[in-house]
Amino acid sequence: MIEFDHVTREYGTKIAVSDLSLSIPRGELFALLGPNGAGKTTTIKMLVGLLRPSRGNVRVCGFDSVKDPRLSHLHTGYVPDEPCLYDKLTGREFLWFIADMFGLARHSAEERIAREMHSFELEEFADDLAESYSLGMKQRLVFASALLHDPDVLVLDEPMVGLDPRSTRLVKDLLERRVHEGMTVFMSTHTLAMAEEMADRVGIMDRGKLRFLGTLDQLRDQMSLQTMNLEQLYLQLTSSSESRSR
Amino acid sequence: MNPLVSSRDAVFDPVRLLNAEQESRTFLRLRIRMALTTLHTMLHTARLRLTLVVILSCFFWGALYGLFSEAFTFLDSLRTDIVSLLLNTFFSSLMVMLMFSSGIILYSSLYCSREARLLVTLPARAEMIVSHMFQEAIWFSSWGFMLLGSPMLVAYGVVTGSPWTYYAMLPPFMLSFVFIPSMLGNIACLMLVAWLPKIRLHAVSTIFVLACAGGLWLGWSTMSATTSDRLSSAWFEEMFGRLSITEQRILPSWWLSTGLLEVARPAQTQSELFASLGEAAKFLALLVANGLFLQLIAGWTASHLYRLGYSQLACEQPLRGRRRPMGWFDQFISMSGTATGRPIRLLLVKDLRLFRRDVTQWSQFAIFFGLLALYFANVRSFSYNATYSSMIGFLNVAVIGLILSTFTTRFIYPMISLEGRRFWILGLLPVNRDQIVWSKFIFSSVGSLVPCTLLVLLSDLTLGIPPMFIAIHETCCVILCFGLSGIAVGLGARMPDLRESSPSKIAAGFGGTLSLVISALFIMLVVIIAAVPSHLFTATQASQSPLVVRGVLGWAGSGTGIVCSMVVVVAIGLVATLWPMILGLKAFRTLEP
Repeated sequence: MIEFDHVTREYGTKIAVSDLSLSIPRGELFALLGPNGAGKTTTIKMLVGLLRPSRGNVRVCGFDSVKDPRLSHLHTGYVPDEPCLYDKLTGREFLWFIADMFGLARHSAEERIAREMHSFELEEFADDLAESYSLGMKQRLVFASALLHDPDVLVLDEPMVGLDPRSTRLVKDLLERRVHEGMTVFMSTHTLAMAEEMADRVGIMDRGKLRFLGTLDQLRDQMSLQTMNLEQLYLQLTSSSESRSR
Repeated sequence: MNPLVSSRDAVFDPVRLLNAEQESRTFLRLRIRMALTTLHTMLHTARLRLTLVVILSCFFWGALYGLFSEAFTFLDSLRTDIVSLLLNTFFSSLMVMLMFSSGIILYSSLYCSREARLLVTLPARAEMIVSHMFQEAIWFSSWGFMLLGSPMLVAYGVVTGSPWTYYAMLPPFMLSFVFIPSMLGNIACLMLVAWLPKIRLHAVSTIFVLACAGGLWLGWSTMSATTSDRLSSAWFEEMFGRLSITEQRILPSWWLSTGLLEVARPAQTQSELFASLGEAAKFLALLVANGLFLQLIAGWTASHLYRLGYSQLACEQPLRGRRRPMGWFDQFISMSGTATGRPIRLLLVKDLRLFRRDVTQWSQFAIFFGLLALYFANVRSFSYNATYSSMIGFLNVAVIGLILSTFTTRFIYPMISLEGRRFWILGLLPVNRDQIVWSKFIFSSVGSLVPCTLLVLLSDLTLGIPPMFIAIHETCCVILCFGLSGIAVGLGARMPDLRESSPSKIAAGFGGTLSLVISALFIMLVVIIAAVPSHLFTATQASQSPLVVRGVLGWAGSGTGIVCSMVVVVAIGLVATLWPMILGLKAFRTLEP
C-alpha cells in the first residue's frame, strides 16, 4: 500500500532523508520512531504530497505521490501534528467540505459524517465554529475528517498530541479496528509505549537514515537484549548510532 | 440542512475525483459559507468596528468625490486635453501596484498559510487551489483601487455630463482591469517560487526597489524639469508630455482609460450614444479577453508549478547562527541605568528585538513614514503664504498623529494581550506587573518620538515656518506620541484578549477599535486647540493689523492665547497619557491569565 523506493530528500546541503526504501503492506500499523530532526516529519510530508523527494519515488496504492498526487490523496487520510482547520467553519461544515472534496454522494456523506461525529464524540459542539475549539477538540475533528472517506492509508504525525486519556483510548481502539478491517496506518510518534502496544512493525530513523526496520522481537534479537522494552531498546539504538557518528 | 451540502447526488463510487466544475463549486460554497460566517460574526461581535468602517469609507468616498470634482472642473477650465494622460498615468501606476500586491498576498496564502497546507493534501487540482486563493488576493489587493478609483471616475462623469451608459460600464471596466495585473502577479508569484525559491525574496525586493526608483526618478524628473508656472495649462502640458510613456497602446491601462473616455463622451443623439458605447465595448472586450487568456496561462502554470513550488520552498535550510548586528545596542540599553530599572530595560530590549525581527512591523513603519518624509520634502513645490504654511504644518502634525495612531492600535495595543499569553514565562520572573506595562509605554513613546519629531522638523523647515511655531508643532507632536502610547498601552492592559494569538485580530476587536477612535478624537482635540490660536495669530500678523479679529478670538490670537492653548494641550496630553495607563495598570495587576 505504501512504498518508498530509494527516497532521498535534501534541504539545501542538509540531507533530511537518505535513500529510504520501505514497503508497508495492507492492514499493517507501522510506527516510525526517531529523535527530533531524524527525518520522520519529512518522510510523512513526502508521503502526503506536501514535499517532493529529491530522488526516488513514493507510492500510495500504486499511485506516485508526485505524478498522480490527486489519486494518491484520494486513498490517503492525513492527521498532521498541528490541526489545520477553517476557523470560520463549524465542525459539521468542515466535514461536509471534506466529504465534497472526496466526491462522496450526499447520503453516503451524511451517514459517514454522523458516524465519525459519533465515533469521536463531536456531536455536542459540531455546530460551533472551529475557532472556539480546544486543541483536543480540533485534533478529534481532524481525525474524523481523515477517516471520513474510509482511506486505504491513514498517515498520522504525532497523533496523540492534545488528546486527553479518554480520547487517546478512543483513537487507539478505532485504529485497531480499522487496521483489522484492512486499513494501513503509517504513524510517526515519540510515544514509545503506544508504538509498542499497537505497531505491527517499527522503523527507527536517525539522522535521515532508517537504522532499524522490523518487529519488536526482531529488534530484541538484533540488539541481543531479550528482556528490554521498546523504550530501552530505542535509547540503546539511538545512543549507539550517535556515538558511532561521533 | 447543512449549507455546504451539494445539490448533486453521486450514485457510483464512494470516493471519486471531482471534475473541474464540481471542484469549483465546492470551493465556491466554502468561500460563501466563510464569508457569511465572517459577516455574521462581525454583525454580532464587532458592530462598532463595522459601523466605523462603513461611515469612514462613505466619508472617504465623499471627500474624494468632492476633491476629484474640483480637480476635473479645474482641468476642464484649462481647456486642455490632459484627462486622458491623467487617467493613463493613474491606471498604469495602479497596474504596477496591483501586480505587486496581489503577488505578495498570493505568496503568503499559497505557500505560508495553514489553509494551503490542508488543501495540498486533499485530492484537489492545483489550479483550483490557486484559483481559490486568488479570489482572496484580488479582493485584498484591489479594494483600495475601487475605493480610490470609483469616486474619481464618477466625478469625471458628473463634471463632463456623461450619459448613463458610462456609469453602467464602470463596474465591468474596473473589474476586468484589476483582473489583468492581479493575474500577472499570480503567474509571476508561481514562477518565482517554483524556479527561484532560494532567491525569491531578493528577486522581489530588487524588482520592487527598481520599480520604486524608476517611479521616483520619473516623478522627480517630471516635477523638477518643468519650466512653466505650476498648475498652469502649459505646466500641465509639459508635465504630462513627460508621462506619455503611460499612453502605450499595449498597456491595459490605456485600454481602460480609452474605453471609459469613449463611453463618457456626452451624446447628442441616440446614434452617437450607441456609437460611443460600441467603441467602449471593444475596449471592454479587449480587457476581458486578455484577462481570460491570462487566466488560462495562470491555470496552466498553477497545474505545473504550484505543487512543485510548494515543495521547493521547503528546500531552504533554517537560518542558524543568525548575526546580531544590533547586539551592541541591546547590550547598551540593558546595562545602562540603575539596577532597579533593569527589568524594564530587559523587557524593552526583548520588545526591540521582536520589532526588528518582525518584517511586517518595521516595513510598514518604514513605508508609511518614508512616504510622509517624501511628501514633506516636496511640500514646498507649491507656493503658500505664511498663514497657509502654519496651517499646513498643523495638518502635517495631524497626519503624523493619525498614522501613528494606526500603528499604536495595530502593534502596541495587542502587546499586553500577547504578553498575557506568555504569563508562564513572565509570571515566574522577578518582574513586577507594573514594570511590564510601563516597559510597553516606554517602548512605544520613545520609539515613536524620534521619527515623528524628525518628520515634523522636516515639514516645518521645508515650509519655512518660524522657530516659535516649530516649537509649538514639536510640542504637539511630543504630546501626541505620549498620549497615543498611553491610550494604546492603557486600553490594551485594561481590555486584554488572552485567548487570541493573532495581533491583527486583537487590534480588530472592540478594544482596538475603541483605542483607534479615542486616538483620533485626541489628535483632533490637540491639533484644533493648538492650531486655532496660531492661525489667528499668523493671520493677524500677515494683515499687519492687530484689529483684524476682536473679542475672544482676538485674545485667542494673541501671544497669551497661544500660551494658554498650549497649557490646555499639555493638560489634555497628561490626561490622555495617565488616565488610560492608570486604568490599565490597575486592571493588569489583578489579571488572572
